[in-house]
Amino acid sequence: MGDVLNSLMLFWGLMLLTYFLMQNGLSIFNDVTKAMSHFMLEKALGPGIDLVEGRDGSASKAWFIQGMLWLIAASTLVFEGLWLKQDPTALHSLSAWGYDPTANSLIYASNYAALYGGIGMLLIGSSLHIMPRLAGTNLASERNATLVSFLWTLSVLVLIVAAHDSEILGVNIFLIGTGMHALGFIAIVINLLLTISERQSSLPIPGWLIIMGMLADPISTTATIITGSIQAGAGQWLLAHMIGGTFFFATAAGVALYVSSSASGNPLWSRSLGAATLVGALATINPIGDSNGMMAADMLGVAFEQLQPSSQDSIVMAFLMALAMIPIMALAANVMMTLRGGDAFIENSDSAGIAEVNLGASMLFPLAVASLFVQSDALAAAPELSGMAPTLLLMGIWLVLVPISLGAALHLFPTVTGRNLLSRNRARWAYWMMGGGAFLGLTVSMMSDLIDMALIEAAVDDSSALAADVQAVGAILFYGAAVGAIMHTLNAVSGLFRGARIVTDRATSSSITTEAYSLASPTSVRKILAGGASLDTTVVPVGESDDAGSATEL
Amino acid sequence: MSEGGSGTLGEFIQGEEEPSSSWVVLAFGLVTSLSLLILHSILYPSRDLPVISEILPVFDGVFDSGIWFFILGIMGGVFAIIATMLTEATSE
Repeated sequence: MGDVLNSLMLFWGLMLLTYFLMQNGLSIFNDVTKAMSHFMLEKALGPGIDLVEGRDGSASKAWFIQGMLWLIAASTLVFEGLWLKQDPTALHSLSAWGYDPTANSLIYASNYAALYGGIGMLLIGSSLHIMPRLAGTNLASERNATLVSFLWTLSVLVLIVAAHDSEILGVNIFLIGTGMHALGFIAIVINLLLTISERQSSLPIPGWLIIMGMLADPISTTATIITGSIQAGAGQWLLAHMIGGTFFFATAAGVALYVSSSASGNPLWSRSLGAATLVGALATINPIGDSNGMMAADMLGVAFEQLQPSSQDSIVMAFLMALAMIPIMALAANVMMTLRGGDAFIENSDSAGIAEVNLGASMLFPLAVASLFVQSDALAAAPELSGMAPTLLLMGIWLVLVPISLGAALHLFPTVTGRNLLSRNRARWAYWMMGGGAFLGLTVSMMSDLIDMALIEAAVDDSSALAADVQAVGAILFYGAAVGAIMHTLNAVSGLFRGARIVTDRATSSSITTEAYSLASPTSVRKILAGGASLDTTVVPVGESDDAGSATEL
Repeated sequence: MSEGGSGTLGEFIQGEEEPSSSWVVLAFGLVTSLSLLILHSILYPSRDLPVISEILPVFDGVFDSGIWFFILGIMGGVFAIIATMLTEATSE
């Protein structure tokens, strides 16, 4: 068996073992493990844990606000990177301060800021709110989750510095960033595992997507390290795509499915499609991602190798990437149909965040197909489409993952903070700025890539001039995404202080969890469904009497 | 001054709502300022603008690309967020 299949077999085996242990526990070690984990999350941290508050929702709030701030940084880095593609000396004056960025280094750094800073933090913030709801319990440690958000932010900051210059004073900065990132990640996973260990009922599909997506990140890393495939280009590429397909795709899928039901008041459209998304996310290779494994190699401190898979590995990779269309289509259809219910239009479309989730679900399939072509091409001995791979990765980030994670955060914001966003109108403007800027800016940038590739192939002497002109337009259009991120963040920060207080907790009372619905008076089926029931909910008639009441006998 | 009655001063009240047309006043002020600056260069064509003409050369070689105008916009937005955090946190 080749490197890829070896790693995948081990990964699948470890995931099955994890699922078995989550369902059956650790036998006699259960109580000891739980007690030790609780101790490690709070008391072991000493006075540090008292620096943060432990109120309900405080953890999600901290992750949301920091995630939004990271989106500003990420969009700024992308904008600068796109600009420097056509004007490489635009920031040369910064070299006086020892900072001499290039287009590649800026876009590479933006990937860390967007994936781990923006998307990662928003998804974890949403998960910290969603998982306790689905499990019918409280988060194991709000304080630890709040504190870890700052460690996570610090790790992203270090990774961004490392993306520019990986070695400072002889020390590999990537390893420091990865170490902090791993520490924060383990704390969050333990927190969520402890939370669902107290679950009152079986965990719905979105809950499984979230927890399996998070667990798959360290498990896939372990699998590639144990098999030794991380030293090869194919193994590095595989790890990057496994993490992309699990932590980012599966977790985003769980969050999107929860939010689509919660926001529309409709029950989840299809449980089978949800299950197909869960199994498919773990069993296939998601094609959305970079065409090399540089991020995986850098973060683990191994030498980066070009992707040169064996013929057997190529067949496995291409086959599993093609199969990934099943969970991708299942997720897109499930989210869009749940948002629409029985109508042709999105329900509750004015609610902040819903438009973003709809945009992410709509762009998912076309970008996955485009990525499949580019990734399949990357497996060839002489790739022809590699010139457009970085821009396609940016499209996957800014038109799928960012809209879904940001949309979920905006929707959950009122329930988490107790206040609405300051202005629904500003949220709508920000959506158009961010979505439009990312879509138009990256589409024009891809046109520039295609022009560049075509002119190089035609052996035109000065091939860069025309492509550079188009690239300038792309960069300026993408600036809208940065402005939109600022508007969203300003709206959320102002909302924390001056947003209208929410009067009910209806906003995230998802239909997924309700098992019994008390029917006190005649009502329509639509209202029952909107109240959080699904087709499997038991409707319990509550007895009523017109007799006059009297004092209770003691 | 008589105690109570007509001599009592009213309390200061600051409205929570922002009138939708208030930005017109700010925009008008900005346009007026720019107009007067242009008028200065028309009336005194041989003289540089005070203060501004001395500050701008400092940035020669720094802001030599259009990207800086965009970056300044982002910096303005970030400072607006920081200012909002500070003012909101200290206002109550």
